[in-house]
Parts: sequence; C-alpha cells; structure tokens
Amino acid sequence: MDPLHRNRLRDLVTELLAKAGDPDPPRDRDSLFISGRLDSLAMVNLVMHLESSFGIDFGRLGFDLDRLDSLHEIESMIDDHRARP
Amino acid sequence: MTGLADPAGPLPGAAGRPTAPSAARGLRRRWAIEDHPRIVAFATTPLGRAALLAAFALVLIGSRGTYRAAPLWPMVLVGFAAICAYRPRYRGPALLAATTAVTLEQVWFRREGLALVMRQEALDAALPEGLVIHTALLALFVGSAWMLAWVRRHPASFLARRPVLALLALEAVLCAAAAAPLLDGGARVAAWAALTVFTAYLWFLAYAIVDQRSRDPASTTFVLGTFHPFWGSSTTPLGKGAAFLRRVQARTPDELAVTQIKGLKLLVWSVVLTVAYRGGSWLIEQRLGVPRLEAVQLTFARGAPWPAPIAWASLVSAVAAAALTLAIWGHQAVAIARLAGFRLPRNTWRPLESRTLAEFWNRYYFYFKELLVEFFFVPTFLRAFKSHPRLRMFFATFMAAGLGNAVYHFVRDIDVIATHGLQAALQSYMSYLFYCVVLATGIGLSQARATAGRPRPAGAWGAVRGFATVWSFVVCLHVFGNENREFPLGQRLRFMASLFGVG
Repeated sequence: MDPLHRNRLRDLVTELLAKAGDPDPPRDRDSLFISGRLDSLAMVNLVMHLESSFGIDFGRLGFDLDRLDSLHEIESMIDDHRARP
Repeated sequence: MTGLADPAGPLPGAAGRPTAPSAARGLRRRWAIEDHPRIVAFATTPLGRAALLAAFALVLIGSRGTYRAAPLWPMVLVGFAAICAYRPRYRGPALLAATTAVTLEQVWFRREGLALVMRQEALDAALPEGLVIHTALLALFVGSAWMLAWVRRHPASFLARRPVLALLALEAVLCAAAAAPLLDGGARVAAWAALTVFTAYLWFLAYAIVDQRSRDPASTTFVLGTFHPFWGSSTTPLGKGAAFLRRVQARTPDELAVTQIKGLKLLVWSVVLTVAYRGGSWLIEQRLGVPRLEAVQLTFARGAPWPAPIAWASLVSAVAAAALTLAIWGHQAVAIARLAGFRLPRNTWRPLESRTLAEFWNRYYFYFKELLVEFFFVPTFLRAFKSHPRLRMFFATFMAAGLGNAVYHFVRDIDVIATHGLQAALQSYMSYLFYCVVLATGIGLSQARATAGRPRPAGAWGAVRGFATVWSFVVCLHVFGNENREFPLGQRLRFMASLFGVG
C-alpha cells in the first residue's frame, strides 16, 4: 500500500478511535473491533471508506471481521484485493 | 463484532468510558478492585485462586441461581469453569463435558409440543420423554459434527455461504414433516423431537457454520461445547460462537485473574439486582396492590378496565421487571463464563444511560442484538443501497431489528404452527410483528441520524431528555412486545389508546 493511502487509513482509524473516546493512536497490530475499542458503527464507517477509496466490494468478497481487526490486517486485505486480476 | 452504536461495556481488561456523574465514578473506582496490582497478583497464586473459586461458589449458592436450584450445581459449574480456566489444554473437552452434563441435568428448551404429541400418540407411557429428548440431542450433536466437517470440505456450498437461509429452509422442512397428517405413532414423535432440538440449537449451529470460515477454525469438540454452553444461554448464544470465544480467552495469568475478579463482581451485582427485583415486586404488587400487566390486559379484554394510573403503573413495573430479569440472568451467565476465562462483554450494560434508541438496543440484550447484526444487518448492509449511505444504514438496521427479530421469535415458537396451524400461528403473531416494525423503524431512524453525524445528546439535560425519550418509547411498545399470544393486535391497540384516555 502506498504511503498516502496508508496515512489516510491510519488517520481514519485514529479519528474513529477518538470519537469512541479512545485517545491512544493505533499500532499496526492492535485489535480494533474484537478488543471492543471500536464498535459496529465504526465498522460501518470503515467499510464505507474501504469501498469508496479502494473499490472493495465486501458483498462479493465476503465479510470477515478478522480481516478488519488491525491496521496490519486491513492493509494486507487491500494488498490482496489489488493483487487479484 | 461489537455493537451497532456502542459496545456493551468494555471487555474485562479494556479501558472503560467514564460517562457517569463524579459520585458514581468515585464509587466505581473504589469498586474496581481488579485495578490493584496486589489483588491481581494474589488472584494468580494457588491460594488466591482457591479463595476466588470459593467466593464465587458461595455467592452462586447464595444467589439461588435462576436456572439451577440444587445446591450441588453451583459447585459443579465452578469446577468446570476452573478446569476451563486453569487447564487450557483441556478447555475443549472440559467445555463439551460441562455443556453435556448441564444439558443432561436439565433440558433447557421448550418441549411442550413434543409432550403433547407423545400423549396424542399414546406413547407417553411407553417412552420416557427424557429418553426421546436425549436421543434427539445425541442425533443433533452427531449430525452437527458431520455438517461442520462437510462445510469445511465444501466452503463454496450454499450451506457454507448462506447458513441462515439453509438452516431456516431445513427448519421449514422439519416443521412441515412434523405437521404432516400422514405421519403417526413413533414417526410423528420422531419428527417432533427432531424439530424441537433443531429449533433450540438453530442459532448455535449458524454461528458454528460461520466460524468454519475462520483461518484457524476451532476443533469440533470446542464448537459443540459452545452449543448452549454450561454458563447458560437461551436460543440466543451468550458468547456467540466458538471463534468469538477463542478470541476473548484470557491469554496471561494476570488477564485471567482480572477476568475472574470481574466475573465475581458481576455475580455480586446480579445478587444486588435480585434483591432489588424481589423488594420492588413485594412493594409494588403486595404493598401497593398494583396488578400484573397480563391481569390488567385480561380485565380490559373483559370490558372492566382498571383506572389508567393503575394500568400505567402496571405497565411500567412490567417493563422494569423484564429489564431486571434479563440483566440478572445475563449477568449470572457472563459471570460464570468469565470465571472460565472468557472475557465476555456483559449481556446488559447500563441501559438506563441510553440516550438514543440505537444505543438502548445495543445495551439492553447485547447477544441478541449481535446475532441480528451478524446474520441480518451485515449481509444486508454489504449488498443493498450501497450508493445511499443513510438509506443503506436504515434498511440494514430495519432488516436486523425488524425482519430478523420477527423471524427469530417466529422460529423460536415454531411448535405453535405444528399444533395450531400456520394461519392461527400468523394471526396470533400480528402483535409481535407490529412491535418489530415499530421498534425497527425507531432504531433505524436513530441509527441513520448517527450515521449522518448527529451528535449524541450531551450533558445533564441531554441525559434526562435521552432517558425520557428512550424509555417512553420502550414502555409504550411493551404493550405489543410482551409475548403472550392471547391478546390480539386490535385489543392491544385499544388498550394503548385507553392508557391515554381514548376510547
């Protein structure tokens, strides 16, 4: 993933955490949803961001919360999606 | 997955969110004994563990758990929880053994339909009902193990991709077979037994099938151990499926100690709520003479209504009793799961602090809401109205809180179809259907407003306004949501109007 998109993704997650009253910036492998730091509304916002910015269609890809649970997982998912023909 | 609007309380060990006034915050700080390193360190020692288990067993015995009356059972539950917590290698087998033992000791699901059919077929004297139920349960567990293995081998199959649709279709087939006039004798009893156990475990099976998509799915032993786990559930799995439970297992001795201390505290809180519930019931029903809501509705149906203030008092106390009963039951189950080392969020988390309907929905019955989110909200959200964000959110929420809610309860009471016929079952369900539509519209609008960035009501006035709005809605809707099927929708509407002096 290029640095610009990586920074935008990190900014979005940081903003979602801040809205949820969590001021700590996320580290790459921090659990976001399963740990309870982010809720489903945040998940919905994240999904919409990934759809609009990276063209990911979760309806076709299948939804797996594990793949959204950390910045590292999200970046891997985006890279996998882009690598597909 | 966490909540639609706000998680159901922080997971044990995660940071909380101070939202209460300072006095309450101070009390909560003092009560937060798991924040003291020395207490946590003690709880990791053999002596500390023994003390914690003993304290838990004593409180559980004292609380006269809502689902286990025999004094031996609290000890058995604590023993199983201790094995799960302290012997992680044996967690899967221990979980399955505990779940099996508890299920054998007391069948937890409704089976009045089966008992009736056995009487109708004159088999109740020849065949013990327990034998029929346990044979059906054994068949269900063996069949489920086979089904999960099949799903792992066929990940692209319809069952693997659309488990809820596939399971509901199977439920319909079983229901049709049970209700078919061609069957009689042992075949009819067998069909009923299959329908009864399949209905009870449908959502456990749905979670189990979805969990097979995980990169590292749990063993079949562990999965079957989560089928109405020993800490308790209804047809809604408390603790969701095996994948979620594995993710929230305590990983370190300190994490385990904190989780168990929080479990003990939650159990103590359930005792406090039980005392409040019994005291409140005594005061309202015996001292003040306020009748129960069913009695008020019955006298209204007979044309001799109670005065509106009494009817309102009865309605409000019915809502309070329902909320307290749910909280006590959920707290006890989650407390035992935490003792077993699972860092489960609470089932009910400060619902009085809800300031929006979406928030209330998330705080009131967390695991039911999670079921609806997982199986109805997410699939809809990912497919429908993708270019209209607010409509997309409203529709997905409506599908979960409305359609999902209605389907869940209709299926749960599937024996009504087999005993009374489809038409009678649908007619008596109209009131609950109305409840689902109104509830889903309210939550959907609340959720869509949150998506649009509308801020949560803030400050003391916001808290009062939020409380008044949310609980007025909940109280009024309770007239249609209580699950007594004797009162048709029209009668409930007239009763509602009478509360406001109309009619």
